[in-house]
Amino acid sequence: MTGAPVSPDACDVAVVGGGPAGLTAARRLAAAGLSVTVLDEQPELGGQYYRRPSAAVIERGGDHRPAGGRLIGAVRDAGADCRTDTSVWGVADDGRTLLLSGPAGVATLTARYLIIATGAYERVIPFPGWELPGVTTVGFAQHLAAGDGIRVGERVLLAGSGPFLLPVACSLLDLGVHVVGIAEAGTPYRLSGRGLLTAASFPARLAEFARYVARLARHRVPLWQDRVVARADASPAGDHVASVTLAATGTPATPVASYAVDALCVGIGFRPQSEIARLLGCSLSGDPWSGDLLPVTDPTGRAGQSDVYLAGEARGIGGAGRAAADGEVVAAAILDREGRPGGDRRAAARQRRHARFAGHNARLYPAAAELTRRLTAALPDDVHVCRCEAVTAGQVRAAAAVAAAPQHGGADLGAVRALTRAGMGPCQGRECQATVAALCGAVAEPAGMARMPARPVPVADIAQLAGTPVASTPEVTG
Amino acid sequence: MSAATADVLVVGAGILGAATAYHLARRGLRVTVAERGAANREGSGTTAGNLHVQAMHTRRPGQEVPVDSERLVPLQKAASDRWAKVSEEIGADIGLQRAGGLMVAETEDQVHELKVKAGWEAAAGLDTEVLDGDSARRMLPSLGPSVLAATWCAADGYANPLLVTQSYLTAAQRLGATVRTFCPVTGLQRRGSGWRASTTGGDLDAAAVVNVAGPWASQVAAMAGIELRLTPVAIQMHATVRAPALLPHLVQHIGEGLSVKQVSAGTVLIGGGWPSAPINLDGRTQASVASMAGNLAQAIRVLPPLAGLRLLRTWAGPLAATPDEMPVIGAVPGAPGMFLAAGTYAFTFAPLWSESLAALVAGENPPTEISDLGPERLLKGENLATPH
Repeated sequence: MTGAPVSPDACDVAVVGGGPAGLTAARRLAAAGLSVTVLDEQPELGGQYYRRPSAAVIERGGDHRPAGGRLIGAVRDAGADCRTDTSVWGVADDGRTLLLSGPAGVATLTARYLIIATGAYERVIPFPGWELPGVTTVGFAQHLAAGDGIRVGERVLLAGSGPFLLPVACSLLDLGVHVVGIAEAGTPYRLSGRGLLTAASFPARLAEFARYVARLARHRVPLWQDRVVARADASPAGDHVASVTLAATGTPATPVASYAVDALCVGIGFRPQSEIARLLGCSLSGDPWSGDLLPVTDPTGRAGQSDVYLAGEARGIGGAGRAAADGEVVAAAILDREGRPGGDRRAAARQRRHARFAGHNARLYPAAAELTRRLTAALPDDVHVCRCEAVTAGQVRAAAAVAAAPQHGGADLGAVRALTRAGMGPCQGRECQATVAALCGAVAEPAGMARMPARPVPVADIAQLAGTPVASTPEVTG
Repeated sequence: MSAATADVLVVGAGILGAATAYHLARRGLRVTVAERGAANREGSGTTAGNLHVQAMHTRRPGQEVPVDSERLVPLQKAASDRWAKVSEEIGADIGLQRAGGLMVAETEDQVHELKVKAGWEAAAGLDTEVLDGDSARRMLPSLGPSVLAATWCAADGYANPLLVTQSYLTAAQRLGATVRTFCPVTGLQRRGSGWRASTTGGDLDAAAVVNVAGPWASQVAAMAGIELRLTPVAIQMHATVRAPALLPHLVQHIGEGLSVKQVSAGTVLIGGGWPSAPINLDGRTQASVASMAGNLAQAIRVLPPLAGLRLLRTWAGPLAATPDEMPVIGAVPGAPGMFLAAGTYAFTFAPLWSESLAALVAGENPPTEISDLGPERLLKGENLATPH
């Protein structure tokens, strides 16, 4: 009727996400003799940080992050079952079994331990013109450059906030792109006590930063601070971004200067992907600084008293170094619980050091929650905030007035969604929810449950699960 | 502090509360609607919005007692006639679509059921036609080979549940009604010849109380000392990504819980009353994967082209179930001035129930005979509200 029944599958440890955190944990646990399955929705492991360059790019310029290739190789050599092109889209009614959709259709996987290492999304806040062709995220420009050796444009301006703007600008310079300038919303690069302290405490990071700055200076790339995009405008033909107008961060609607470009790359740092953690019933708490919901874990990444662990950016933004340390810490915690040797005892100290740096560094930049509030408040009514359903800022504001919930500090987000359809399209609000929440006067999404499917899944695949038994968790192997 | 006053307190800002407030306000009564959360956020805002005009399957999956379809068909006809006028009446687009619907049968027994119900529908003045499988497939080529017959009803359709309730509320407010959201009722006591409601926004004295709190209706009744056999349950809905036009009609099943339609946004909504995870009256209720898989398997059996679409989201919505699975509407015995409406097909019946409740509150006869559907049958043991 609907194809072959789904056979239940089980392992000791399922790792969701094959980036630095997930791969590091998988390598350690598989090497210690546990049966490990790594699930990743991309065609190859690596995540965003260790995204594998195309063969042509490697032939031309080598691998910009060879450590990624070595780590992936080590995970495979240790015997981990690596399933790429495979999305985790739900959790079965037992609250535990993962529901997967991959090249062979639907599958279920039950594991004694789950490691959620799903990484982060880029944070983007709309502005007039943000939907024009030629406007991309900073991360997308980096993928094109590092993965495929493709220039996102010939005259590119980068705007947003956070340390990630600098290495991406350098990647573009590597390809011969004319980088028009970098607009940073904060003033992190002015000499300050906090900046000096951060720099002095982390000399390796200071050296990395100095390399980027020297590179940018050599190419005379301006680094504008306290600047945000006021708007992007199209070419006369109307089909592509042609100019970017910047404004001071405090007055985003008042233009300061315009620049001719053929691409604009925007990004205000990252926010954790929390759908799978939510589906597994992990509790989350609102982070006032970022405005994001962060999973509540102990220092090893364990969620409550469960067998669910979070690692890497999914646990809170901290960079690839901390993500890898997280992976070791989670692996050590699981090996301890299993009474097995092989955990990296020094990882916890490394993790703390990375987390300390990430904390100091983040605070050099503006708080994402405050920046989001400020930029969304300045948004003209006619700008789309939800692209999937073509919902404007004005429509969200009108709905927020109807669904006002003053005693909750803003409007009821569910009611606003229902009134406007904002967040009901293919991305299910992943892109717009922070903007919509800010327009409604809410700081963070309320800690509700996540809806299935976490990614759109073929109806036929889900139907295959009808009447499917769920595997019982396996006995300890080895 | 002195209590606010109103002629009528409506508890719940779902579709029944909103429409009843509108009809009461139209009669010149001073109405206050008290809603525990935001308006239209529970059953009325999470339903698929189908207008059940022709008789349909009589059991949700897991439902023990079947609906008495023969009794309901005349009421469905009366509700259908009213839906045709709602948009003009309240001056708003409610997303009403009447592209007709097919009730399919896949077994000989189900074919027989279609023929029997066609008799009830003819008696109620409702136009339906039983088609054999091939005729049904000619009308709707997406139907699969398992369909043996189908009843066509041109009046079947849907309204947009995200628009209807808010439009009714706006119309009621235009006529002077007060809507208090995030204002749960926490107590109900007899006071003089009327009722005093305690709410988080202060006390309110009203001559009459209309309890249309859906899944919370039994809690609200209990505040007045009335024990009702009305059980909150949650069912789930499924929406696909947008697809090219492939399904012009509502498709339902006479023997199983299945309803499918493609809404104007292009998404296909698949439901049929499959149970979600146990209801959570204090938060959002989770969907059930078993129901998701079961409902979708059934949908692609009846409509094979749906197999290629991707599912975008699933959600659960609450409803209030009566022990006999029939709707409940009328004055609450032993509680003068208190009225109740809830239960089966509440969305479809909203225009009729709201008009009926407004008539009952005003001491008039309702437009259709509903005395057999009163709350008496749901009362548990002693139910006397004591005057203060």
